[in-house]
Amino acid sequence: MAIKILSVDDSRTIRLIVGKAFKPYDCTMLEAGNGEEGLVVAAREKPDLIILDVTMPVMDGVTMLTKLKEDAVLKVIPVIMLTAESGRDNVLQIARLGVRDYLVKPFKEDQLVEKAGRCVTLVKRAAAPTAPAA
Amino acid sequence: MSQTIQIPDVTEFMTRHLVDVFDTMLSMKAMRVPGTELPAFDGRVTGSVGFGGEHVTGAVYLHLSESFAKQVAAAMLGITPEEISDEQEVNDVVGEATNMITGGLKSWLCDAGSDCAVSTPAIIRGTSYSIEPSPDATRECLLFECGDNRIVVEIHIKIG
Repeated sequence: MAIKILSVDDSRTIRLIVGKAFKPYDCTMLEAGNGEEGLVVAAREKPDLIILDVTMPVMDGVTMLTKLKEDAVLKVIPVIMLTAESGRDNVLQIARLGVRDYLVKPFKEDQLVEKAGRCVTLVKRAAAPTAPAA
Repeated sequence: MSQTIQIPDVTEFMTRHLVDVFDTMLSMKAMRVPGTELPAFDGRVTGSVGFGGEHVTGAVYLHLSESFAKQVAAAMLGITPEEISDEQEVNDVVGEATNMITGGLKSWLCDAGSDCAVSTPAIIRGTSYSIEPSPDATRECLLFECGDNRIVVEIHIKIG
């Protein structure tokens, strides 16, 4: 069964990059544009992994993560935080919230896949069958 | 404890960080070149992100030509420039790139004891415009070459 990965980021660009990173793998990508939407999608879909941005409008990643950890069902979902801010205080705050891992923007797609692979089993998609020669 | 922030340290950090963002996210090699004035662009896309805190305020502007902005968007999204369907896709990518560059500066300022917050990105498009800093702010323009293209990072910063 395909792994479900939820990307929560207000930047459509980042959501596209995250989706592109997991394209070679048997994954179903889910998206949300802020923490509030992310909680709704997480409760509905029970993803296997959440890639969560820190700074977002409406509800930021820290608030969403706090609410996830308060939920008996959702608190077990591993979360990788994506942040544009690598400052010591920011990283310490994220670590204290119990994330599985974090990644500072800019990041390479294979760094994200490597970190995700430590949380869930990623299986490469089967190559599309080639048309028989005429 | 806040350390005294020096403008040359800011520009040195931003030079390294711009090169890092373009290399990591776009696999593009950018190189700082001499100059302090904005070159002429036929059409320009500018991403802007503000930052502000108790000890430091300002904004970062990333200027790209329209054609190079499209190349940057395509590289970041893993598609060809011809597949870019509208300006909004380019705007999103330029905004995100500016966000990453300013996020790095914010982290650097925070580690130096000048905590600050950043705004969401905004985009300016046009052919001929300049952005005037407030009278008490310092304006720094960093010019880069990336192949045949120019990248300009304009920083407006007020310390203290």
